[in-house]
Amino acid sequence: MIFQQILMQIFHKLNQERTISAPFHLLRGKRSGQTIQDVGIYQLHHFFGILPKLSRKKYDEEISLLIEKQFIRTDEAGSYELMNNHIEDIGNLPFDGWHYRGNEHVFFARLSLIIQSLSHKKAGQMSFIPIQKDEVIQQWVKNFLLINNFQEGTIHEQLMAEMIHSLENTHIEEKVKSIIINRLAGYEVAGFTWQQLSFIEKVSEMDIQLLYIAGLHSWLNSITSQAEQYPLLNNVAQNVRINIPLTGSAFQSTQLFLQGYSIEQISKIRGLKISTIEDHIVELAMNEPHFSIEQFISGRDVQLVLNAIEDYNTKKLKVLHEVLPHLTYFQLRLVLARGDL
Amino acid sequence: MQLEALLEKYFGYTSFRPGQKEVIEQILMGNDVLALLPTGMGKSLCYQLPGYIFNKPVLIISPLLSLMQDQVDQLKQFKEKRVVALNSFLNAHQKRNVVQALHHYRFIFISPEMLMQQQVLQKLNTMELSLIVVDEAHCISQWGFDFRPDYLRIGEVVGNDNRPPILALSATATDKVVGDIKDYLKMKEPFEYIHSVDRPNIHLTKFMFYDREDKIDWILRHTTETEGPGIIYTQSRTKTEMISEKMLQAGLSAAAYHGGKDTLDRQFIQQQFINGSLEWIVATNAFGMGVHKQNVRQVIHESIPSNMANYMQEIGRAGRDGKDAVAILLYAEGDEDFARFIGIDELPNEVHIEIYDNYKVRNEPPSNMINNGEISETGFRVLNYWMNQLSTNEVKNVLQNMKNEKLQEVNEVMRIVKTSQCMRKMLVQYFGQNLEKNPDNCCSACGISLQEIINPRQQVELGHDEMSWQKRIEKLLIGNL
Repeated sequence: MIFQQILMQIFHKLNQERTISAPFHLLRGKRSGQTIQDVGIYQLHHFFGILPKLSRKKYDEEISLLIEKQFIRTDEAGSYELMNNHIEDIGNLPFDGWHYRGNEHVFFARLSLIIQSLSHKKAGQMSFIPIQKDEVIQQWVKNFLLINNFQEGTIHEQLMAEMIHSLENTHIEEKVKSIIINRLAGYEVAGFTWQQLSFIEKVSEMDIQLLYIAGLHSWLNSITSQAEQYPLLNNVAQNVRINIPLTGSAFQSTQLFLQGYSIEQISKIRGLKISTIEDHIVELAMNEPHFSIEQFISGRDVQLVLNAIEDYNTKKLKVLHEVLPHLTYFQLRLVLARGDL
Repeated sequence: MQLEALLEKYFGYTSFRPGQKEVIEQILMGNDVLALLPTGMGKSLCYQLPGYIFNKPVLIISPLLSLMQDQVDQLKQFKEKRVVALNSFLNAHQKRNVVQALHHYRFIFISPEMLMQQQVLQKLNTMELSLIVVDEAHCISQWGFDFRPDYLRIGEVVGNDNRPPILALSATATDKVVGDIKDYLKMKEPFEYIHSVDRPNIHLTKFMFYDREDKIDWILRHTTETEGPGIIYTQSRTKTEMISEKMLQAGLSAAAYHGGKDTLDRQFIQQQFINGSLEWIVATNAFGMGVHKQNVRQVIHESIPSNMANYMQEIGRAGRDGKDAVAILLYAEGDEDFARFIGIDELPNEVHIEIYDNYKVRNEPPSNMINNGEISETGFRVLNYWMNQLSTNEVKNVLQNMKNEKLQEVNEVMRIVKTSQCMRKMLVQYFGQNLEKNPDNCCSACGISLQEIINPRQQVELGHDEMSWQKRIEKLLIGNL
């Protein structure tokens, strides 16, 4: 149910202006211009990339259910229409996909291997089969344990205190905290499978996983925003949060732009089309709240765009361009990218 | 030093299990060995111990990534650091490093694909190996249940002159398969150790049903009345979920297991199963490899397996502790159709051959068929191998023969289902052996009383762990609660 509610929230925000597939790309965190721009235009940051492995089959199944229950209707061209049936709203689960994009699983993988190691260490059992098979994770955890002198045995108490304190100060339901902790395992303590958690909580496996992801995002935000309070956990969360979420090429263009080069100059230097560089600037405008778009469009014109969006109840570029033919698509997109309309 | 002393020194065991010593002695004498040891009889030790006696690396060719990982983990548990797995999990950089340092390792696990790679071969040619192990050697035979075309080339690669001894290992194999193993690996008058496939402590039984639904009801009743631990094998992922769900609702401790589960889930299930908190696992044939649980009391087949080798391997997971256990085969009218479907599901057919040819004509790599969803990976492996060996028409024949063979295998299983004679005898004879003695409670035909083998279920209050998350963190990190 939670999954369907999330889909409906996204469909509402997209305002019937995108295809039935748009939420799929959004949830998987597709790094294409279109999806990234939609994130800004429709304010979908928190849902971006929360299910990087979502399969098309699973997605289509859920869409069929929504159609069957008459929440949406689709046509052959791939667009959708919202029906009058309202799905019970779950409110906002604390997703922060934009800043994590699946990296929360790296955090958890490290944490679970650390816990497994410390748990066995405490029991005097130093040989065990590591629960995480990824060599990169294993190497990372080895270093972590060595740097923190795990042999001395003081790290156990500290990590426990940090985990309990930070989770207590994370505003998520208690049952979500339990779900997260139940996915950890240690010496003679086995973890719970998704099927078991789903049976205990009486919601589907998919929904359990969504609660877990939202919970991790929220927990990670508490940890990283109070870094000095939780030095160990903050270390485990190293490079997990994405602070400049620009794609590689966009990052290079915007670096040049911030050094004072014009769009035309950057286009020449990088051998890319002007329109591509403009895409990059739009991406920057979307991600960097302090970036001023007024160097490209006057305050008065911004106001005109905002008015048009409201009058015509649309964020479709084509419509807006017809209404305000004196503005370029680039200018319109900058205003939309700001999003906080 | 005596072999027994070495065994205790390196592995902490005081005695060998049947066959191990004979096999190891032959290897130490420099002879090729073909050993058929049932699952759970300690096959791996046959090359692990020589690894410590020889001062040169042992190369182990292993077909399945999961199996390889399990064996690497096992050795690491015995504190062996000089062990490595060369497989497609490694990225280019890691691979280069591993290959460069290959001669430093004591145990080198390698997938057949990796073995064919030029840089790996070059490195291996500069090294002196003490032993070449071909694990799951039946994969070399197209008559076996798990044909891996890559395996056919192992013989070419390991060469003939001056090579170290070859140890070919498998759980079960028919005469035909044994012949193929010896031929393709070019083994030199190998010493053969063939353990009896019969497991007298596993009692065989079968039940017939009119309706498929009745099997599920039977399972629910049976598992609420009798004690596990047990494994229920079925043929689809959906069914594992459905049956385990019903068992959970009936208050049983059960979990679904199949290839689609995430890796943490799989480990949690294994850990719970081994520590006894999980009583029943409802699984596809993906479950079993690398599960070392000694006291499985029941293995139930909700649907008939697609061949005898699978059946043997799956029931072989019961009663490894040597105590009585039961294997129950459930059959409802028409089940063989599904078994046939599963049996030939991954086999390429004429349509695939046509598509393959079309790719060739268009000058597009046929391997794109996999990504385009036109064929499974296994299917492609088989098809690609034969298309490179034979003409299109010949391949059609080969595939048709393979298909007939697979269908024939289902018929073999059906003979066990339909027979009114001793199931054990039929099973053992299928593998070319003779049954020496029928145990008490042998099978449905000879007479069996389940009550004498399995215990009635003790009523236990399940109620999941009501521990708070804070307590759980404490238990994990500080222990003793």
